[in-house]
Amino acid sequence: MKMLLETFERYRPLFTEGKFKTFKPLYEATEGFFFSHNATTADLPHVRDALDLKRFMILVVAGLAPALLVGLHFFGLRVLAMIAVSYAVGGTIEVLFAMARREEINEGFLVTGLIFPLVLPPMLPLWMVGVGVAFGVIVGKELFGGTGRNLFNPALVGRCFLAIGYPAAMSASWIKPGEGTTGRFFEYVSTNMPDAITSATPLALAKQGSLADISHLFWGNTAGSVGETSAIAVILGGVLLVATRVANWRIVLGTLGSFAILNVILHAASPETFAPTVWNLFAGGLLFGAFFMATDPATSPVTNSGKWVYAAIIGVSTLLIRSMTGYVEGVMFAILLGNIAAPLIDEVAFRVRFRRLKNEG
Amino acid sequence: MKFKGGYNIRLSNRPSSEVTVSPETNTLYLPLKSRRFHFSEVHVQEGDRVQPGSVVAVDPENFGVPLLAPRAGTVSLDAAEDHIVIRNVSGEPDVEIVLDEQDHAPETVHNGEMRQKLLRLGAWQFFADAHTGALPDPFGKPRGVIVSTVQFEPFIARGSVELARRMDQFARGLEHLQRMLDYQLINVVIPETESDLGGRLREKLKGYAAIKIVLVPLRYPFDNPALIARRVGLAYDPDQPVWAIPAAGVLAIDRALTLSKPSTVRLITLGGPGVESPCHVKTIPGYPLKKLISGHETAENVRILNGGALTGDLVGSDQLGLDTECRGLTFIPETKQRELLSFMRPGTRRATYSNCFLSSILPVIPLFNTCMGGERRACISCGFCEEVCPAGIMPHYIHKLLYRDALEEAEAARMDLCVGCGLCSYVCPSKIELRSQILDARRRFQIELAEEVQ
Repeated sequence: MKMLLETFERYRPLFTEGKFKTFKPLYEATEGFFFSHNATTADLPHVRDALDLKRFMILVVAGLAPALLVGLHFFGLRVLAMIAVSYAVGGTIEVLFAMARREEINEGFLVTGLIFPLVLPPMLPLWMVGVGVAFGVIVGKELFGGTGRNLFNPALVGRCFLAIGYPAAMSASWIKPGEGTTGRFFEYVSTNMPDAITSATPLALAKQGSLADISHLFWGNTAGSVGETSAIAVILGGVLLVATRVANWRIVLGTLGSFAILNVILHAASPETFAPTVWNLFAGGLLFGAFFMATDPATSPVTNSGKWVYAAIIGVSTLLIRSMTGYVEGVMFAILLGNIAAPLIDEVAFRVRFRRLKNEG
Repeated sequence: MKFKGGYNIRLSNRPSSEVTVSPETNTLYLPLKSRRFHFSEVHVQEGDRVQPGSVVAVDPENFGVPLLAPRAGTVSLDAAEDHIVIRNVSGEPDVEIVLDEQDHAPETVHNGEMRQKLLRLGAWQFFADAHTGALPDPFGKPRGVIVSTVQFEPFIARGSVELARRMDQFARGLEHLQRMLDYQLINVVIPETESDLGGRLREKLKGYAAIKIVLVPLRYPFDNPALIARRVGLAYDPDQPVWAIPAAGVLAIDRALTLSKPSTVRLITLGGPGVESPCHVKTIPGYPLKKLISGHETAENVRILNGGALTGDLVGSDQLGLDTECRGLTFIPETKQRELLSFMRPGTRRATYSNCFLSSILPVIPLFNTCMGGERRACISCGFCEEVCPAGIMPHYIHKLLYRDALEEAEAARMDLCVGCGLCSYVCPSKIELRSQILDARRRFQIELAEEVQ
């Protein structure tokens, strides 16, 4: 370990003032990844909280781990290839932007790079994964100014681009989940295995009138996007995030709650159009979206009251898009709609807040 | 206004209630500068012999508040820069002072002689404006008075220790204050706990007519006078100051007006993770710092703060003695260690407001040092700063406004309400210097406002 630190120190002048000055962000990101910085406080207060953004992001990655493992189990090693492409392409773009701006590389990409493959169909061509993540990072994040300043969730922007740009590939790349104790853990599903391909995701089937077994939805042995099939895995990881206060509980409860309440009412009114509530909660990417994507702090409203409104918009939109439009899954568009509405929701909440503050002190 | 936000940092080594007395010293180094005062007008000459309570210097910018010699001795002005050195210090701390002819209060001032005594006998320097912290005019009329018996910042001398066996003197001091202000309402801040200080104070002050008891939860920074002032309805008005007086100040009032004796003893704390056996110390201004600290320090590399860990000032190496406004010294270890893959570790001893480390669920005392804990990043709108803010403003929102220099909008977002507690900066995971930014922007806004008026 000391040797590693010394190596970094030895090359520091080269990257800060020397020949490779333009690669300074990359050097600092690598060094910062391995070794914590020991800068001490210069301004008041003299002590600081131990939480930093690296920890924040790594906790989200830890929360995604159960869903990732389940995805690997059911869909095989190809998932790793997709993740590798996502990190490589997206990471390169992040580094390039950081170098051009002469700023540090932000840790936000650790999360985006992992979430993006988890919302894609497992057989999607790898080049599409690359194009999608590039679009998502550039248009969804960098054009707005980088981490913390983005309006939309970058992973969802990428997925939306793929859904609209390559609809055929996106709807024909589902595979049957692996079976047995090891599933597809040691298998790499490739295009010359046509038996594995299926188009029968639970939501697609529901649109045609047949409901998959709810225990399959709970454990995850259905077709679907890599990370979203298993309700239990998503819930476990999501609860970790809510417990560590990385994800705000109001958004999770609001999304799932508004979805459930509306679903109960509408299912009672029209059971052919609206699937049963618990089934509908577990199916598709609703849980994944509610725990991991809607709760992104940069794209959700900042005010607590605003968070409830935002969550309600997402929950209601998801249900309506799922059941009353041609799309089988509505979470992606619902969250993007929520992202659009978030600044306006905040404005209203601020007005109320400032009116109250005006009479203060 | 209810109490919202606030947060108790679990800094270790809280000074015990035990009070040790600092041993006698031969030399005193009285700093001419303290947090608010600059005693630039020196009233003694080289070689003068002073008595306890003699005025050795005055601050002309602060209504002539005096720096008093705490003991008898011989003055040396050139021995140390920015200090008045007193050599051959002898005992006799208790001397009654009679005001002589030159100590006259303005005749039009109500109870002028009482106020003149407070000024001359070193009691006035405990007073502060609740909103600005500045020294109020001793001959002015306050809009309101707040007496505080609590101190929540880690670590400064606590009111419960100050008042431990001096309840009667405290009550007497309050009586003097009431008389001086013609029975204007005095707000006394008491901790919410039923036992000990809270209960005893409530018992003691029950019969008093013009005293209003304000209960505060035991959370930093609900002892802040500006917050208390707002709670009791005394909002900021630049023309009408609100007086804030700590428990030590009321005891000093009693000493001055009942006994005509100067207040030259200070109760301070030595506390924080960088010091062994943290305790309260009864000492005097000018006491040599080296002597005070010797035998207490732990780590070699320690940051010494005059005040608490959140708002204290760095004690420079050129400061040789305790300054007259000191209420505690906090010791925090500096660290130069670089940990491998630090952000992936469970973090069993890391202090955090969030639940992101194992320390949140384990019953351990976290380790504190002066490490920033991370690199400066963009605001991710996590909302922690807003949650801890006691003033009810939104530091992240103001930060974003200041990022594009929108000073008027930041003012509309009430950045003037900031009390400078430092909790927002403490809690921020992106390590943004929120406190400095907000206070700095306030200053710039005032300057711009003043320029526009001209």
